[in-house]
Amino acid sequence: MLMVSMVLPTAILTVPAITVNYARQDAWLSVVLATLTGLLIAWLVVSLSLRFPGKNLFEFTEEILGKVPGKIIGLLYIWWFLHTNALIMDEFGGFLCTAIMPDTPPVIFFLVGAIVAGYAVRNGLEVLSRYNQLFLPLILGLLLVVFLLAAKDMKAARLLPVFDAGLIPIVKGVAVPASWLGEIVIFTMIIPYLNKPKEALRVAALATLFTGSFLMVTILVALAVFGPNLTGHWIFPTFNVIRVISIANFLERLESVLIVVWVFGGFAKLGVFYYAAVLGSAQWLGLKDYRPLVAPVGLILVGLAFLCPNIVNLLHFIASGWPPYAIIVFEAGLPLLLLVVAMARGKRGKAVD
Amino acid sequence: MIKKIAVLLLLVLLTGLLGGCWSRKEITEVAIVLGTGVDWTADGRIRLTVQIALPTAFAAEGGGGKEPFSWVISAEGKTIAEAERYLAMKSPRDIYWGHSVILVIGEEMAKKGTGMVTNFFQRDRQPREIMWFMVTKGEAKDILETEMDLVKTSAQAAGFLTRMKTGYSVQLREYAEMLASKGVQPVVTAVEVEEGGVTPQPGQEGKPPRHKHVALAGVGVFKEDKLVGWLDATETRGLLWLKGEAEKGVIIVPSPGEPDKEVSIKIRRGSTKVTPEYDGENLRFDVMIKMEGDMVEQQSREDLAKPEKIKALENAIAEEITKRATVALEKAQIEYGVDIFGFGDAFHRKYKKDWQELKDRWDEEFARAEVSIAVEARVREIGLLTKRASTPEK
Amino acid sequence: MGNFIKPLKAAFPGRGKGKGRGKPPAASQPEDAGLSSASWKDSVLSSNLEANLKQIKAILSKCSDVIYREFVFAQNEQLRLALIYTDGMSDKAQISEQIMRALALEVPMVVPGQEITKARALEFIKQRGLCVHQINETGKLQDVIHAILSGDTVLQVDGHATAIINGARGWEARKIAEAESEPTVRGSRESFTETLRVNTSLIRRRIKSPNLKIEALRLGEVTDTDVVIAYIEGIVNDKLVAEVKSRLERIKVDAILESGYIEELIEDNPWSPFPTVNHSEKPDRVAAMLLEGRIALLVDGTPFALTVPNLFVEYLQASEDYYERFLFTSTVRLIRFLAMIISLTLPSLYIAVVSFHYELLPTTLLLSFAAQHEAVPFPVFISVLIMEITFEILREAGIRLPRPIGQAVSIVGALVMGEAAIRAGLVAPSTVIVVAMTGIASFTFSYSVSIAFRLLRFALMVLTAALGLFGLISGLAIIVIHLCTLRSFGVPFLSPIAPTTGVDLKDVFFRAPWWAMFSRPRLIARQDQKRQEQGLKPTPPETRSKK
Repeated sequence: MLMVSMVLPTAILTVPAITVNYARQDAWLSVVLATLTGLLIAWLVVSLSLRFPGKNLFEFTEEILGKVPGKIIGLLYIWWFLHTNALIMDEFGGFLCTAIMPDTPPVIFFLVGAIVAGYAVRNGLEVLSRYNQLFLPLILGLLLVVFLLAAKDMKAARLLPVFDAGLIPIVKGVAVPASWLGEIVIFTMIIPYLNKPKEALRVAALATLFTGSFLMVTILVALAVFGPNLTGHWIFPTFNVIRVISIANFLERLESVLIVVWVFGGFAKLGVFYYAAVLGSAQWLGLKDYRPLVAPVGLILVGLAFLCPNIVNLLHFIASGWPPYAIIVFEAGLPLLLLVVAMARGKRGKAVD
Repeated sequence: MIKKIAVLLLLVLLTGLLGGCWSRKEITEVAIVLGTGVDWTADGRIRLTVQIALPTAFAAEGGGGKEPFSWVISAEGKTIAEAERYLAMKSPRDIYWGHSVILVIGEEMAKKGTGMVTNFFQRDRQPREIMWFMVTKGEAKDILETEMDLVKTSAQAAGFLTRMKTGYSVQLREYAEMLASKGVQPVVTAVEVEEGGVTPQPGQEGKPPRHKHVALAGVGVFKEDKLVGWLDATETRGLLWLKGEAEKGVIIVPSPGEPDKEVSIKIRRGSTKVTPEYDGENLRFDVMIKMEGDMVEQQSREDLAKPEKIKALENAIAEEITKRATVALEKAQIEYGVDIFGFGDAFHRKYKKDWQELKDRWDEEFARAEVSIAVEARVREIGLLTKRASTPEK
Repeated sequence: MGNFIKPLKAAFPGRGKGKGRGKPPAASQPEDAGLSSASWKDSVLSSNLEANLKQIKAILSKCSDVIYREFVFAQNEQLRLALIYTDGMSDKAQISEQIMRALALEVPMVVPGQEITKARALEFIKQRGLCVHQINETGKLQDVIHAILSGDTVLQVDGHATAIINGARGWEARKIAEAESEPTVRGSRESFTETLRVNTSLIRRRIKSPNLKIEALRLGEVTDTDVVIAYIEGIVNDKLVAEVKSRLERIKVDAILESGYIEELIEDNPWSPFPTVNHSEKPDRVAAMLLEGRIALLVDGTPFALTVPNLFVEYLQASEDYYERFLFTSTVRLIRFLAMIISLTLPSLYIAVVSFHYELLPTTLLLSFAAQHEAVPFPVFISVLIMEITFEILREAGIRLPRPIGQAVSIVGALVMGEAAIRAGLVAPSTVIVVAMTGIASFTFSYSVSIAFRLLRFALMVLTAALGLFGLISGLAIIVIHLCTLRSFGVPFLSPIAPTTGVDLKDVFFRAPWWAMFSRPRLIARQDQKRQEQGLKPTPPETRSKK
C-alpha cells in the first residue's frame, strides 16, 4: 500500500533551496557524499524500527528507555517535526513570495499550505500516500523534461576543473544536503504501517539514493548553465535555470512548471511532517485518535512559521545552524543512542503479523 | 462551540481572500515594457528610459496603420529604482518588466560602470535573465526612440537582430557570468542608430531622413564592469572565432587563380580549442580553429570544382580567419589589455594551482602571453554549379 | 407487446391445500378487515368469494381502472369465479382467451361429464383449467393487491381461501431504441427501456451464463417499485453483494421513481461532488461491468441502470473504446483525458495568466490580450464568470426546451450571443474562446462527472482570482486529495492509478488490445481474476511450408 514515493518528497522538495548552497563546481560531489551519509542514517533508522515491528518512533522510544526519558525524547521529536515543518513552510512561502507573487503576504501561503496538508493528514496516511503516488511521477517527470530542455544552455566546460579548491570545501558542502537527506528519520513514523515491513530497508535505501541522485542532477544542471561563480549568486538557481530555457524562440517562460512542481510537492512534504507531528503528539498525549489534533497543530505550525523574519535569516539558518542540530541530535545521534541502548538491554518488540 | 468559532474564522478568512487580492493586477493596469535603456546624465544621475507597448496597436485585428506602436518615456534618479519611481509619475500604469527584450546601456553609463545597473535587473524578479544586453555609442535613449519599419518597435527589432547571432549576442545572465569570472572579461553587443530608408523627395532635401533604424555594430569591450573600448564588426568576427562561437557569416577570400576576384564562403560550422601552456614563466596559448563552410559565390571565372583548387581555397580561408582573429587578439591584448576571450578560464581548467596565483593579475599576464593560431578550414559544398555559369564560355 | 412475466418471490406461503380450507384466522373478519390501512396488509383471504371481493373493493375503492369480472365455472354452474385485473396493464387477449374461455367455456371439452366439486375445483383449475403460462397461488391479501396493481390477473375461486395470480401482463411501453445519452459509432445501439423485464432480458441475452444472478426486491413504501440486483457469481466479491443488499434494505422512503433516488441513498459520500455510483443506459456497457465483477441495479420505470462500485477511470472510458482497435482508441482516450483537464482548469488558467502572471505568455500574445481587454470594463475574473454562467444557462435551456426550438437556441446562443457580447464590449474575444473551449471539452467525457467538474470549475475560478496560480494549484491539490479519500463500496475511487495496481493500468490512459487484457481489475473481482489465457495475441498463420 505504501510506496517508496512517500519518502521522496521529504527531500526532493527542498532541492531548490539546497542549491542555495554556496555551490562551487564540485557541489555535486558534496551531494554524492551526502547521499552516503543519508544511506547510513537510513540503515540506522530502519534497523531500529524493525526491532520493534508495528511500533513507531514514539512507542519504541518509551520501550527502550522507560517512560520518563521516553516521553522527554518523544517531546523533543515532536518539537523537531514541528520545527522542520515550519521551516518547510518558510521555504515554501519564501519561494512563492519572492519569485511569483511578491505582494501577497506569506501568511496566506502558510495558511493555505496548512489547510491543504491538514486536509490530507486528517484523512489518513493512505490518502497521503495516494496523493503522492499521483503527483510524484508527475513532478519528477516535469523536472526531468525541464532539465532536458535546459541542455541547450549547458556547457560541460563550466563544471571543470574538478577538485578546484581541494577536498575540504567539498566536505564542508556535505553538511546541508546531508541534513536534508537525513530526514529519512521520519520514516520511523511510517514503517509500522507498511504492508511489507521487511522491505523497509530496501525502500529506505532506494528512496535515499533516488533523492540524492536527483539532488545531484539538479545541482549539476544549475552549474552547467550558470557556471560556478554565478550559480551561487542566485537564491533559487533552479528557478533561474528554468527561466533561461528557450527553444526555437517558442518554448519559453516555463517557470510555471516549477511553480506547479514546487507547490504540489510542497503540500506533500508538509503533509508528511505534519502527519508525523500530529501522530506523535497524539501518542504522546495518550489519545486514541489523532484527528482532533490536526487543526491545533496546524495553527501552531503557522505560528511557528512566523518565527522566521525574512529570507536571509532562513537561508543563514539552513546553511549553518540547521545541519549540526538536525544531524547530530535528531537524525543520527538519537537514533544511534536508541539503537545502542536497545541492543544493550536486549529489548526487542514482539513480532506482529 | 469550537466548531462555530472555526467556521466563523474561516468565513473571515475567505472574505479576506475575495476582498483584496494583493498580487492581482489587471492586464489593463499594466504598462508592458519592451525595451529598457539606462544613461548617465551630465549631472551625474541615472536616466532610465523605457519603451512601453501600446496594446491597441498590437491587437490581432485592426490596429497598426499610422498609430505609434510604442511610447517612450524617461525619468532620472540616483539609482535605477528611484528612477523607476519617477517614471511612475509619468506613466498612468504600473511598469511591468517581464517582457522587456533588451537592456541598452549608454556609453557614458557603461564607462561609469554597469554594476550600478545590472544589479537591479537581476535582483527583481520581473526582468528576465535572458534579456539581451547591449551598449551603444551615445545615448540609450536614442535607440529606444527610434521607430522601425519591419518590426513594430525598435526594442523588438534589436532583440531579433541579436537573436540571429550575426554578431556577438550576450544575454544578461551571460554578461553576469563573464563579470563574475576572473578568467574572462565581458564583451557586450553594440548597437547604434543608422539612417536609411526613403531618399528624400526633391524639394525636401535638408530635412532629416525619415527613417532611422537600429543596427548591430560590433561589440563593446569591458574591463570588469567598465567600458574601455570597441571592436568594430570585422574585429568582432575575430572575437567570435577566438571564443569559438562563430556560427553564421561569410568569409571572402581571393580566388586562387585570380587573386583580384573574390569567392564567398558561407560558414557552416566552427569550433575552437584553446590550449594553454605554462612553464612557470612563459605563458602560451595554442588556438586551434576548425571550420566548415560552403562556397556560395564566385566572382572569378576559373573552374573551382577541382580538388587542388578547393585545397587552395581552404588555405585562403584559413589565412583569412587567422587574420581576423589576430586583429581581434591584438586589439584586446595591446590596445585594451583585457582577456575577453576566456583564455583565463581555459588556463584555470588546466592549471588549477597556478591560476590561484595569477588570477588577480590575469589581464597583465594575458597581455604578455604568446598566442599561436592555427586554422583548419574545409569546404564542403559548392552549391549547384560546377563553374561560374553567368559568363559566356571563352 | 408481449407478455411479461414476473417471477414471484418464492417466499410466498400458502401453496397447497393446507391453508386452503377452513376459516381464516380471526384477524380478518370480512367487515372490518381491509378498511384500516395498517391491518389489511397482514390479513388473508377468506374462502367466501363475496367476502373477498368486498374486501378487495374496499381497499381498491375509487380505483376505476380495476375491473372485476365474475363468471361461472363451465363444469359446475354452482361454482363462481371472479377475475380481478387492472385495465391498461393486462393483456386482454390472454385474459379473454386463456382464462375466461378456458374456464367458462372449454373445460367440458376436457373432462366431459365429470363432476368437479367446489372443493376440488381449485386443484383442477390450477392443473388443467388455466391455459396460462405462469401462475402462482397466495392466501395473503397483500400479495393479491400487489399483484393486481402490478398488472397481474387474480382469479378467485369461491370456497377457497387462496387466489391464483396469473402473469398476464401487457402494457404500452417505449420500444427499445437508441440510447440518447450515450451515443456510439460502433457497437450495439440498444438501450434499456422503462420496463424492468425487458432490461433484464437485454442483459441476459448478452451473458448466457447460469452464474448471472438476478435477485429481485421491492423498494419504496408507496411506489413499491421493483428493483433487481444483477451480478455474476464467482467473479463478484461476495462481501460486496452483501454490502449492497444491506444498504438497499436500509432504504425506507416513500418513492423510488428513478434509479437516482437509490443512488443518493446508497452512495458512500453524499457530500462529494463526485458520484460513487455509476449509471448507464446501455446494456452492453452494463454487461461489461458485470463481467468485471461489478454489480448492477436495475429499477423499473427508468432505463438507467446503476453500477457499483464506481471508479474514477470509468469516466475516461466509453464502451466504444473496446470495440475499435486499440491504437486509435488509446489516442482518443488520451484526448479525453486532456479534455477533462481543460474543462476543469482552462478558465482558471486564463484568469491566472491574464491577471497575475504575465510573464507566462509570449509577448505578442500578451499584447493582443491587453488590446482586447482595453475595451472591456470588467476585470478578467468577472468577465469569465459572466460568460461561464451564460454558457451554463444556455446549456440548461438547450436541454429543457422543446425539440424544434432547442436546436435554434444552442446555435443562436453560441454564435450570436458570443459575437454580440464582444461587440457590446462586455467580454473580450479571448474570453469567449476560452469559455467555448471549456464547454466543448466537457462534452467529450461522461456526463455524470462533467457535472461535477462544472461545479468545481467555478470554485477553482474563485480561488484563482484570489491567489493566482498558487490558488489554482492549491485548489487542484484539494480536489485530488478529496478524490484520494473517496471509496466506492470499499474500493478506492482512484484505483488503479493510486493505489497503483500495475497490471490494471493497461486500461486507464490507453487501452491495451484484447489479447493483452488477461486479468480483471484486481480490486473489484476478488474471486476470479483471470479473464482469459495469456498468449492470445493473434499472429499471422504459419507460412505455408513447401508441399
